Amino acid sequence: MRLISRRTLILFFIPGAVFMLLFLLLPIGKMVLDSFFTFTRMGSREEFVWFDNYVTLFTTSKYIKPFVNTVIYVVISVSVEMVLGTFLAIWFSNSYRSMRFMRSLILSPLMMAPIVTGIIWRFMLSAQFGIVNQTLVNLGILNKTSDILWLADPKFALLSCCFADIWLTTPFIMLMMLAGISSLDSNMLEAARIDGANKLQQVFRVILPNLKTIILTALSIRVVDAARSFDIIWAMTQGGPNYASELISITIYKTLIKNHQEGLASAMAVVFVSILIAFALIFMRNLWSGQAVRKERVRK
Amino acid sequence: MNNANIHRSRLRKKGIQDVLVILVSAFITLAFLFPYIYLGMSSFKTSQDVISVTPTLLPPGFSVENWVRMFERLPVGKYLGNSLFVALAATGISVFLGSLSAYSIDRSNSKVSRFLLVLTLCLKMIPLSSISVPVYNIVIRLGIYDTRIAMVMVMAAINMPFVMWVMCGYYRNIPVSLDEAACVDGAGSLTTFLRVILPVSLPGIITSALFVLFCSWNDFIFGLLLTSVNAKTFSVAISEFITAYGLDFGPMTAAAFLFSFPVLILSVLAQRYIVQGFTAGAIKE
Repeated sequence: MRLISRRTLILFFIPGAVFMLLFLLLPIGKMVLDSFFTFTRMGSREEFVWFDNYVTLFTTSKYIKPFVNTVIYVVISVSVEMVLGTFLAIWFSNSYRSMRFMRSLILSPLMMAPIVTGIIWRFMLSAQFGIVNQTLVNLGILNKTSDILWLADPKFALLSCCFADIWLTTPFIMLMMLAGISSLDSNMLEAARIDGANKLQQVFRVILPNLKTIILTALSIRVVDAARSFDIIWAMTQGGPNYASELISITIYKTLIKNHQEGLASAMAVVFVSILIAFALIFMRNLWSGQAVRKERVRK
Repeated sequence: MNNANIHRSRLRKKGIQDVLVILVSAFITLAFLFPYIYLGMSSFKTSQDVISVTPTLLPPGFSVENWVRMFERLPVGKYLGNSLFVALAATGISVFLGSLSAYSIDRSNSKVSRFLLVLTLCLKMIPLSSISVPVYNIVIRLGIYDTRIAMVMVMAAINMPFVMWVMCGYYRNIPVSLDEAACVDGAGSLTTFLRVILPVSLPGIITSALFVLFCSWNDFIFGLLLTSVNAKTFSVAISEFITAYGLDFGPMTAAAFLFSFPVLILSVLAQRYIVQGFTAGAIKE
């Protein structure tokens, strides 16, 4: 016998479901549908054009560039974050009393708003009154502060946005790794030490191989999140100069709001989301089956 | 004697090494926090010093000018109030309704839970900018543009799948016999949920509540689209120092510092729950 009736369960389910339906599933459905239409400037559907929007997307260099930019942004940001975050986690994982305090401090930007992060870095990288270029001049690396225009030079704009992303999310990688390190079997490290492994050997032969699952998990979360970045770029360059730092999310927004091409923007979003979902599902399936195999082995 | 000397020198060597490690760590910490420290320092410079062509870390002269100008430019209390109201209300709604829905999903043993997992993962991947316009259209049609209610509902809805996913993970470990025992004692379904199930899954509630709180507080793109005068959130107001007033860095540093300080404090205090939230949905237990 069921103690909670089906009717009650449905009653429990409905309020939350209505919220999600209205503000989440409906917009997503509309997005998919819109990708097959052209739009008037007033924002109403004009004509059903089958896959024309998708064709435009893949044949116009203006729309291919943001995809390339996004890949570059993700590769640079995520790889630096992973290395830096892992290094910091290992460095700060020893048990000095004062370390714990510093560890908390260094993790504090963890949940800072991306928009604020973008603003801070825009301020620091400013060519006229930014402290970064001033420091480089003081160190004798630059002759004058206008030698590198971090945000206005197409060569550096995307990289500058990466700096902000790296600063904001390295604590997240560090936090994940610290959690992983603290769950390691301390006997294992002890054994390695007794066998005469030096610090580097301990890190590369013992710690990192055992953190594989966590490293891959953090990697998959970060790749998806970095690919969706909007706020940081919006605060720093708004995609400029000359599309140099325009990521897909920015292009989608501009196509929607400034050009009113809702069909095209939706098509872009559908392609983008499909790629991310495919990536994540393949990645996570491998991850999970790997875990399952390991658990099996332990049981045996 | 000799032995003691060796021991002592080894101790000294160890001591020097300890000091070195701690010094280097302190340096790394300071270097890492530099952007935020610099932001805070700059907010206490005079407006000339903020945009000096030879910037310094420490304010050459202490001044609250930027803070005063921020309060002149912005109805700080109102916008901060909006942000806080939206964050708290969205957290309350999405955590309460989300955990209720998740409970019914878990206890009905249906395939819905699998669908929910997929949905949550997919939602994590959708660029918010792409659904922002359909959401905008819906908000207009409901006649709630530029109201705090609209922001609350959108934020609650966007974060609800996450809450449901986290909570499902917790309910799975609570034996059904607990519900049954409460029912036998004569408690109604809602009472059982509120009095028995929720207290047991408190860590899940805290984790999901913290995340919704941070996400709603930090939201930028929906605030940008769905609010204009009345319901504007503080994050949007900060960004307007860039666009509307040209580049007014002085009051902007004050506003950015003010806006992110509570977040910094809270994330230091709640690190344990944040780890759980980040790994939820990514690690299958």
